[in-house]
Amino acid sequence: MTTISNKWHTTLTDRIYHPIINFKHSIYGQFNVQKQNLFIWIINLWLVSWLNRQLQSIMINIIKTGRVPEHISFIMDGNRTYAKNLNMPIKKGHEAGGITLLSLVYACKRMGVRCVSAYAFSIENFNRPKDEVDTLNNLFADKLDEFAIRAKDFQDPLYGAKIKIVGDATMIGDEMKRRIKRVEKITQDGEDFILYICYPYTSRNDIYHAVQRSVEQTLNNEISKDEITIKHFTENMYLESFSNRCDLLVRTSGHKRLSDYMLWQTHENATIDFHSGLWPDFTFIKLYLKLIKLSLYMTVQNYYETTFLSSEQVLRKKAEYYNKWRGNINLSSLPEPPPTISIVGRKS
Amino acid sequence: MSKIHEKVLSKHKSEAERQVAASRHREPEASIIYNTKHTSKLNVLKSIADAMIVGDESNQNDPNFKAMKRDSFWVTQLHFIVFKILLISVYFVFGIFRYFQYQYNKMRLRVLNIIYNPTSTPQLIRQDVLKLSKVPKRLAAILDMKPIGEVGGGVKGIVNDASEIVCWTVSAGIKHLMLYDFDGVLKTNVQSLRGEIAEKLSLYFGPTDTPNFAIRIPHLNKVYYNGADDENYNAKSEKVIIEISLLSNRDGRETIVDLTRTMSELCLSHDLELSDITMKLIDTELTQLVGHEPDLLLYFGPALDLQGFPPWHIRLTEFHWEADNDQVSYLVFIRGLQKYSTCKINVGK
Repeated sequence: MTTISNKWHTTLTDRIYHPIINFKHSIYGQFNVQKQNLFIWIINLWLVSWLNRQLQSIMINIIKTGRVPEHISFIMDGNRTYAKNLNMPIKKGHEAGGITLLSLVYACKRMGVRCVSAYAFSIENFNRPKDEVDTLNNLFADKLDEFAIRAKDFQDPLYGAKIKIVGDATMIGDEMKRRIKRVEKITQDGEDFILYICYPYTSRNDIYHAVQRSVEQTLNNEISKDEITIKHFTENMYLESFSNRCDLLVRTSGHKRLSDYMLWQTHENATIDFHSGLWPDFTFIKLYLKLIKLSLYMTVQNYYETTFLSSEQVLRKKAEYYNKWRGNINLSSLPEPPPTISIVGRKS
Repeated sequence: MSKIHEKVLSKHKSEAERQVAASRHREPEASIIYNTKHTSKLNVLKSIADAMIVGDESNQNDPNFKAMKRDSFWVTQLHFIVFKILLISVYFVFGIFRYFQYQYNKMRLRVLNIIYNPTSTPQLIRQDVLKLSKVPKRLAAILDMKPIGEVGGGVKGIVNDASEIVCWTVSAGIKHLMLYDFDGVLKTNVQSLRGEIAEKLSLYFGPTDTPNFAIRIPHLNKVYYNGADDENYNAKSEKVIIEISLLSNRDGRETIVDLTRTMSELCLSHDLELSDITMKLIDTELTQLVGHEPDLLLYFGPALDLQGFPPWHIRLTEFHWEADNDQVSYLVFIRGLQKYSTCKINVGK
């Protein structure tokens, strides 16, 4: 047992003295620090985290002056591998993942992102061992309560955020449903920012659910069948007005597939980013670099779209102009051309 | 329930293939690197300067931005200008880094292009594939039509690229191929595509032993066999080596909405109950209307841009593309297959 804890200690102190420290590691490391060092360690930790916070807020202020995406989505993959690498129980990995998500949500909110969605639990995840599913559920419920408290505390950066749990509600227990309802009710007044937690969710289920709802609406005479358009169909999906597009999807741990998540949202105009690291290691700075990149591309793209017209648009504009001012041109209405004279020299 | 299938198809038949390119919004990175006009450094500088001077209207609805306005005017302006200048310098640093990355990637691709060069020889391709532990059952590829002025641009270019991919797929021993292009250029030019594929296959396999192929357009429910219309050809007795499906943006969201409409029609006339609509039913209908889910999706552009590939069909599909590549080249194909052979899929675990 002692050897394991020593191993944690070395890996974690390395991380802690790294300038861009992540506060979450402290909760694992603090028990292993010897008593005489404790005081210095706390001062250090406080200083480094203070610096970190200042730096972060400057960086956020910088990117806020440019373009930021509206909807960011995360596939949180790699929590279990993370726990295994550090020789910790799997539960700790999920906990670390939850903390990472909350800190990123907080940063996104300050940058002016309107919506964040995260893949918390897939319907397929019910295939996992039962005790892991249970611990995940408990952890999830605890995190929800924590989020609700923070969203109501006006001193907290998450103040004014709205949370919604989306997914197939028939698959979760009554106790869980009650807790979810309560949290959603507490935060329902938030306007600026919305966090969608997909639990339990698959994208095919989402599309299926939208089909069912659209058919149901026509049966109840709420809409006629010709009113089912792409726009209307999209609004019937779980993510409501954010269902149409997701500007940035980040998937960690290197798999280059979507795994049944956000298919409808990302198959058009989305940037999909596959990150090779594990989710708990996906810190603010990594997200920030991706956002800077995207922000630059969006600026350049916007410039071309608004400044230059594409050749098709030019043609259309030209046609409009002719229709409006000139009408059709009759050949006989043109003035007579000069007389045609052949090289032989005689007037024909 | 083939009734649903028939009804949706009859709807499809009444309309022509639309051109939607003008309304198209592309993925930012791919659109910039693809368009040579956009990659010019001077133009990028211009656009950044423009954004700085004119400002970005996207921030106006941002609540934080509104909150900033409540402070004193000059303090806010000063803050804004300082941070904006910092942002521009971050852009510059990133731009310089990206320039070198782009050059490095191009160099890498050139070297790889020399290493993986099939030179129209099926034996070499089969040899490359034999080293792999598994190959995908169904392959999909997204193609782009380049502007007519460029090398390999226009309809001729995309048809040529498509037939090249068909030959590689045949040589690799894969039996199903989906070709996707946004506007349905391949669908409308299916006759010239048939001719081109037949020609390319005879170049690969010799004129006497050309493999038989079938081109399917699921949206119109049409199947074409081989290069030219042959009266004596019997699809049942002769073995088709490869089945090619042509897809476009039409097969994506719109087909799902069409299916929903048909289902609600049937529900209204009580031919179908609401409880009959299950995930399984939708899956079988979409499989009939569009095709099976591909195992591997290849994209021949610089950054992953799915361009509206049918959303139902990319559930567990592996994606492969090469950064900053803009050609349909064999190296993307073979490296995609290599990646696929090493990946393992564990649903939910």
